[in-house]
Amino acid sequence: MAEELVLDTPIRNWVLIPLSVVMVLIGVLRYFVSKLMRSFPVPDPKIVKEGQVVVRARNLRAGANFIPPKSFRARRFYFSNEENGLLHVPKGQAQNPQAQMFSDPNMAMDMMKKNLSMIIPQTLTFAWVNFFFSGFVAAKIPFPLTQRFRSMLQNGIDLSTVDVSYVSSRSWYFLNLFGLRGLFSLILGEENAMDDTQRMMQMGGFGFDPTKNLGAEKDSLDIIQHEWALPKFEHRAEAVLRKLVH
Amino acid sequence: MVTKTEETQLDRLENQVDNGGGGAWEYLCLVRKLKVRRSEKVLKHGLSILNDPKKRSSLGSEEWTLYEQVAIAAMDCQSLDVAKDCIKVLQKRFPESKRVGRLEAMLLEAKGSWAEAEKAYSSLLEDNPLDQVVLKRKVAIAKAQGDISGAIDCLNKYLETFMADHDAWRDLAEIYVSLQMYKQAVFCYEELILSQPTVPLYHLAYADVLYTLGGLENLQAAKKYYASTIDLTGGKNTRALLGICLCTSAIGQLAKGRSKDDKESPELQSLAVAALEKDYKQRAPEKLSLLTTALKSLKVSS
Repeated sequence: MAEELVLDTPIRNWVLIPLSVVMVLIGVLRYFVSKLMRSFPVPDPKIVKEGQVVVRARNLRAGANFIPPKSFRARRFYFSNEENGLLHVPKGQAQNPQAQMFSDPNMAMDMMKKNLSMIIPQTLTFAWVNFFFSGFVAAKIPFPLTQRFRSMLQNGIDLSTVDVSYVSSRSWYFLNLFGLRGLFSLILGEENAMDDTQRMMQMGGFGFDPTKNLGAEKDSLDIIQHEWALPKFEHRAEAVLRKLVH
Repeated sequence: MVTKTEETQLDRLENQVDNGGGGAWEYLCLVRKLKVRRSEKVLKHGLSILNDPKKRSSLGSEEWTLYEQVAIAAMDCQSLDVAKDCIKVLQKRFPESKRVGRLEAMLLEAKGSWAEAEKAYSSLLEDNPLDQVVLKRKVAIAKAQGDISGAIDCLNKYLETFMADHDAWRDLAEIYVSLQMYKQAVFCYEELILSQPTVPLYHLAYADVLYTLGGLENLQAAKKYYASTIDLTGGKNTRALLGICLCTSAIGQLAKGRSKDDKESPELQSLAVAALEKDYKQRAPEKLSLLTTALKSLKVSS
């Protein structure tokens, strides 16, 4: 790598800027399309109830010492008995989330819609970028970088002699794809930003099992030791009053 | 829960708006955020914004939220015409909206046409059977009609799903107390104490119900909960202090035959009496004689 590469101004005018503008426009367009296709899922009563049960059981665990022993035992039995306790999940009935997804066409439909609005425009733009702009060196970043960044910045150019600080057009596309989130949150409002990375994580984390939550709550409720705190309060009240009177 | 600082902030803002200092929109936002019920003020200041086209358009899309807020406040104040106008505007803007449908049903309810309102709510529930607001409105309708057992049924059904909603538990507890179903009320108050163990009012109400139920065990428990109320309020709660006195005397009467004396906290009631007397001396000296005679009749006065 001896001399500097000179980047032609038409490259800036016809590659660098159009690519960024197109990416922004596509992001905005996708936002509106997904807004159109978004459906508000009707919550499943069972799932809502399970969530509430967990909250209530957690309250019971946290405040157990504030209610009389009898009341506590009755509640614990109500939550965790083996016959019809709210937290008791019969073996084998624990729903496999995968199976649940297939049994509920709505869910699959929702996922499809989400994926469609994500994947189709992405493949199209990628194909478009590949077709028109492949092999360009589109920009140069003003600081030197190590060789490890080559795969990130010079995707599509297989020249090992080009300095790493030059950015190929395809890499510019990728940088835009992941780097425009901040701009979108400015344009479209904070929570509306199209967040591809987060969405991908969500897909990976799919398969969360709510029944596990119930089981864990049941176990911690079972081992709790009840010690009524109220007798202590009488002494504390005495102390408070003594201070007040004297 | 509205904390003290939030309340002072709200009051300060309300004062400022009342005296023409501006900030009406901030006030309305705060009211909405804290979910407090100050319908008259909301109606007055909200309308002043809505009637001023320039101010209204400067809100942007928040305008519709304001319409909704004012409509609800107007129904609360029985200014049904205002509510009707607001809802009409919203209806025009969002013809298919469920949220507007809810407002329309509420308007029917405010007019007192219960059957129609009930029908409207039922049709809303068909679309979304878990709509908490609508389910609560149904309870309110039942209560307004005087159908207390219907209200209890609705609440129980609601709590079966939304069992972590302490406001509903509180409502149910109050209904049970009003019907003298104390055992059920005890359960509800326990639930409230569990969800918010540091709110002294729940401890106090629980103790009241236990005392009313009677029986040695309940009385002793009631005394303990009065004590915890005293602890949580720093001894400022007169009702709890009187409760201690009442419980001690009742326990004394019940346990008279048995030799077992109240060894747990012998000093508590004398201290409570002292605190009561001091409090009365400071704040209502002319009523002190009433207190002493009342305490004497309980045979706890020293």
